Amino acid sequence: MSFLELNQVRFHVQELGPGAESGESTPAFMAHGLLVDNLASWYFGAAPRVARDRRVVLYDLRGHGRSEAVRSGYDVATGAADLAALVGSAAEGPVHLVGHSYGALVALRCALDYPQLVRSLALVEAPLPPSRLEEMRSIATADPKQLLAALPERLREALTSGRRRAARARKSLEFLLRESSLVADLAAEVDIPDAELAGLEIPVQLIYGERSSCRPVGDRLLTALPQASLEVLDGGHYLSVERSAEVGEILAGFLHG
Amino acid sequence: MSDTLQTVGRMIQEVIGDDWDLDQPITLETSFGDDLELESIEFVSLAEALKVEYGDEVDFVGWLSTKELDEIIQLKVGDVVEFIDLCRSSN
Repeated sequence: MSFLELNQVRFHVQELGPGAESGESTPAFMAHGLLVDNLASWYFGAAPRVARDRRVVLYDLRGHGRSEAVRSGYDVATGAADLAALVGSAAEGPVHLVGHSYGALVALRCALDYPQLVRSLALVEAPLPPSRLEEMRSIATADPKQLLAALPERLREALTSGRRRAARARKSLEFLLRESSLVADLAAEVDIPDAELAGLEIPVQLIYGERSSCRPVGDRLLTALPQASLEVLDGGHYLSVERSAEVGEILAGFLHG
Repeated sequence: MSDTLQTVGRMIQEVIGDDWDLDQPITLETSFGDDLELESIEFVSLAEALKVEYGDEVDFVGWLSTKELDEIIQLKVGDVVEFIDLCRSSN
């Protein structure tokens, strides 16, 4: 297990595949989604396939998994700054960025704000704007006292299955929703104008689920981004887990160099 | 077999750390989900510990990547021990 101090926050980082010194392939950095998610969904999902060809760097977002539970900085721009700092400290850029859900927004923002660091981008179910995501809607509109009750089934399940695990998941979620700035940060998040997306001159692979509330975003990004291609898989929003084998193959086929 | 079980049992205990409250000893029948309630992120730590212990001899992550996350959480300690012993005996 390894930890890196970036932007005054302690981040949990895991690597798969050949080491930094061995291959000449461009490394891939992968970012996961919000709340009960962490790097395990890549680690046990698509990352091992990607790691057959290149070094893969996974990390827990601030406040998630084994990274430090800090109270602020859950806006996408700060997330992008965290990812940029990680890339700067763990690789000699430019690198490939891969993200799922909120992690995809972080990766996209990182490519827009730090173009020198990013060679290509793979976005799995990027919710743009974040209010596209059903979870975001329920989190943003619920009465603070009912936040936990308002969560969709998948998140609630993690909070009720087992004793030790459920207690830990609840504690982590209550911290993020009640004691950190996450809810306010997400509510303040705005859309990225098409004009700004049009300036992103790197290859982008979009992957969306046919049954996801975010599905229309795939079409919008396909049109707005100059070098994008879109794959639509049979599934919902949680493709990185539900369809991890297909996602891994698509990523392996897309990432070059 | 018993050596591997001991090694894996020690790693599990280290991964769970202060949260450890299991009265029963870890056996081949202990399940990661129902008995240990291992979280996904703890499973990552276990996989990393196995990597350190056995190196390339045991491709635990590769083996797990053929399984669904739900399937992984439902594994028994004996499944992992069996996999490790199989890798080591074929080398």
